[in-house]
Amino acid sequence: MLAVFIAFIVNKISPVGIPLVGQWDLEKGIVHASPDSADFNERLEIDNIEVAKLIYDDANTLFVDARSEMDYEAGHVKGAISLPMNDVDANIEDFINRYPPEQAIVTYCSGRTCEDSHHVAQLLLDLGYEQVNIMIDGFQTWQEKGFPVD
Amino acid sequence: MTNSAKRLLRNPWLELAARVMLGATFIYASYHKIIAPAEFAKLIYGYDLFPPETINLIAIIVPFVELITGIALIIGFYPQSAALILNAMLVFFILIISINRIRGHEFDCGCFSMQTDRLDDSPGYMLGRNLLLLTMGIYSMWYGLGRARLFVLTKQ
Repeated sequence: MLAVFIAFIVNKISPVGIPLVGQWDLEKGIVHASPDSADFNERLEIDNIEVAKLIYDDANTLFVDARSEMDYEAGHVKGAISLPMNDVDANIEDFINRYPPEQAIVTYCSGRTCEDSHHVAQLLLDLGYEQVNIMIDGFQTWQEKGFPVD
Repeated sequence: MTNSAKRLLRNPWLELAARVMLGATFIYASYHKIIAPAEFAKLIYGYDLFPPETINLIAIIVPFVELITGIALIIGFYPQSAALILNAMLVFFILIISINRIRGHEFDCGCFSMQTDRLDDSPGYMLGRNLLLLTMGIYSMWYGLGRARLFVLTKQ
């Protein structure tokens, strides 16, 4: 009982504390313990893979793969570039030099259980990129749909 | 069991060593869960065994149960009760790993680190590790009954 009491008190006052109930329904979007966190900007989300494909077909939008380099090498959206969240510091400067702030961007990772696309999207917004969206269904659904991959 | 084996098992220093090892393991295991509860909750989601409404509660409570009972076991504050709780948790972990192994569901246990993007330990390794810890826990609980124990703050 003491442990439970301490757990709730610490969770309440901790900056990394989480709500008592999270968002764990894949139908509703990305799953996470803290759905109201500032890290998850729902306004950026594209929750329909067909809409993402229409944006892709428009050809003006850069698709950014936020997964690890290994996952990117194993397969990615055709024409997407790699900006892995787990090694973003090493790659972000090169990205900024290559793409202007007005470049339209769609980030993605593996799917609705993955957060990296949100983190990369938020980072790009913070760096001044104006048109950033997130394909929350990720590469797995893209591939299952038979859309273009490399 | 031979007399020398019985004498060894009844050695209070051996019992203390088992308590310290088991307690320290659980304290260590609680640390990364306490500093990153959201990541731990996601690993619990990955077990694919718990109702969504309970996932955050488990992520909040379990690390502190590990921490407090681990400390209690080491300092000898109701050590048998602490060992009983840790043993129950270990049995529960073994069940979770076994169920997921049987149904072929890959997951990261999150026992000692957060690896949400890759699987660190095989189910067989996790099972072996938990069975070893359970052996220490049962020994600590069972062989501490009615005998001299070292560094026990409370009467059992």
